[in-house]
Amino acid sequence: MFKKSISAEWLKLRNSRIWLVLITLPVISILLGSINYYFNQGVLQNEWYSLWTQVSLFYGEFFLPILIAICCAYICRLEHMNKNWNIVMTSPVPIRSVFTTKLIIIAILIFIIQIFFLILYFIVGKILGLSSQIPSETIGWILRGWFASLSISAIQLRLSIQIKSFAAPIGISLCCVFIGLGMYIMEFGMFFPYSLLSIGMGVLSQEGLTIVENIQFFVMNILFTILFSSFAIYRLKTADI
Amino acid sequence: MIKAISLEFFKLRRKKIFLMITLFLGCEILWAFMSVSISLSRNPNSPVWESTLTTIASMNGLFLPIICAIVSSRICDMENKGNTWKLLISSNLNRKFIYAAKYICSGTLLLYGVVLQAFAITIFTITKSSTVIIPLSLIMRFIGSTMLASMVILALQQWITLAVKNQAFALCFGMIGGFLGIVSDFFPETVRRTVIWSYYTGLCPVKYYFTNGSLELIQQNLGLGMLTAVFLLIIIFYIAGSHHFSRQEI
Repeated sequence: MFKKSISAEWLKLRNSRIWLVLITLPVISILLGSINYYFNQGVLQNEWYSLWTQVSLFYGEFFLPILIAICCAYICRLEHMNKNWNIVMTSPVPIRSVFTTKLIIIAILIFIIQIFFLILYFIVGKILGLSSQIPSETIGWILRGWFASLSISAIQLRLSIQIKSFAAPIGISLCCVFIGLGMYIMEFGMFFPYSLLSIGMGVLSQEGLTIVENIQFFVMNILFTILFSSFAIYRLKTADI
Repeated sequence: MIKAISLEFFKLRRKKIFLMITLFLGCEILWAFMSVSISLSRNPNSPVWESTLTTIASMNGLFLPIICAIVSSRICDMENKGNTWKLLISSNLNRKFIYAAKYICSGTLLLYGVVLQAFAITIFTITKSSTVIIPLSLIMRFIGSTMLASMVILALQQWITLAVKNQAFALCFGMIGGFLGIVSDFFPETVRRTVIWSYYTGLCPVKYYFTNGSLELIQQNLGLGMLTAVFLLIIIFYIAGSHHFSRQEI
């Protein structure tokens, strides 16, 4: 049943051209970040690390959270059209599966974007002539970024299920991004999912996380994901769609 | 026409769109004021009004294109969601009026946001500066320039929102615009003029100038050529969008 639910979600995305949106934003981030790096190499002398600060700043801080919001709104778009929620709710699929499937699909999409971003980062670094080895931390930034995006996906999915408008959850996401930035600066980043993404991706600080911070990071993300997924499933079970 | 516009606002009455704009701009204003406060504590002699206006204008380059995209999408997509396009088109109302009503409605919502910003700037600057003289002309010019830039972006955004039913594209476009709006200050002047999202800083009555290695804030008067170009862009995008919408199959 679960496998069928996943293939049903894929089927809905089949001709959607969402991939166009998914690849455009990382490409723009990489392009402008690398141009900025190229013209400021006198100041940015830390090779791969400096390049990362330039390409990941806008991507990790603004584009990725909004991209997650777009994916979540998009994956609920068909259900909101023509009262399709009624069909979904009356199908012989547990409500828990309906939500989990959507979350898995978003996780896969975000994972693909992250890998795509990593490949672009590597290619641009080579084009710019960076001679040193690509730092091993990069894999950690990408994977932690993906892990943090799961908790954001759970929140956004919860919002997109409730709000019929496509743009409103994206607007809320934008607001949360700035609250997250504030929380990060005030060093409360570990307690807000949108700041966890900045911490995980090493957007503002490339210093590696300690073991305790790593554990805290993963525990908080798991907690947020479970919490917001439960909220969403509870709402789907109790509210009149 | 008035009825068409009031109908648009009637449809928005439970959409909490004013609240959404207030919250977005609230975040932006808070961030900008924090940044200005830090800057003023480091350089107490820098002019308060000018610093605040330029900071807000550069942040508008990021925020307002995204807000324009969201507002435009919410106003146009509600017809897709409610399947009401056919109902609207079959009413005794020209398509061009429907398009105009939606554009005016979006513009009014943006105007609310910009006036809110101006109000917040006034309060913040009075608390920060030693004098209580409010430079009304500067504020009015700030409102005017921000609205002009927003109207260009709204005209283009509404066209895209109505041309492509999938709102992901319109919002993605808005995001790219926001990104270009914030990074465009690093572009050369000639390139910057072609990027409409850079007009928030380009048209702002106060501008940063580098003189002898130091940063200086200078008031600028907009040339007639620049203003004409902006108005022309509004007209071109609006007419192209309206024309496209009038011939589109619903």
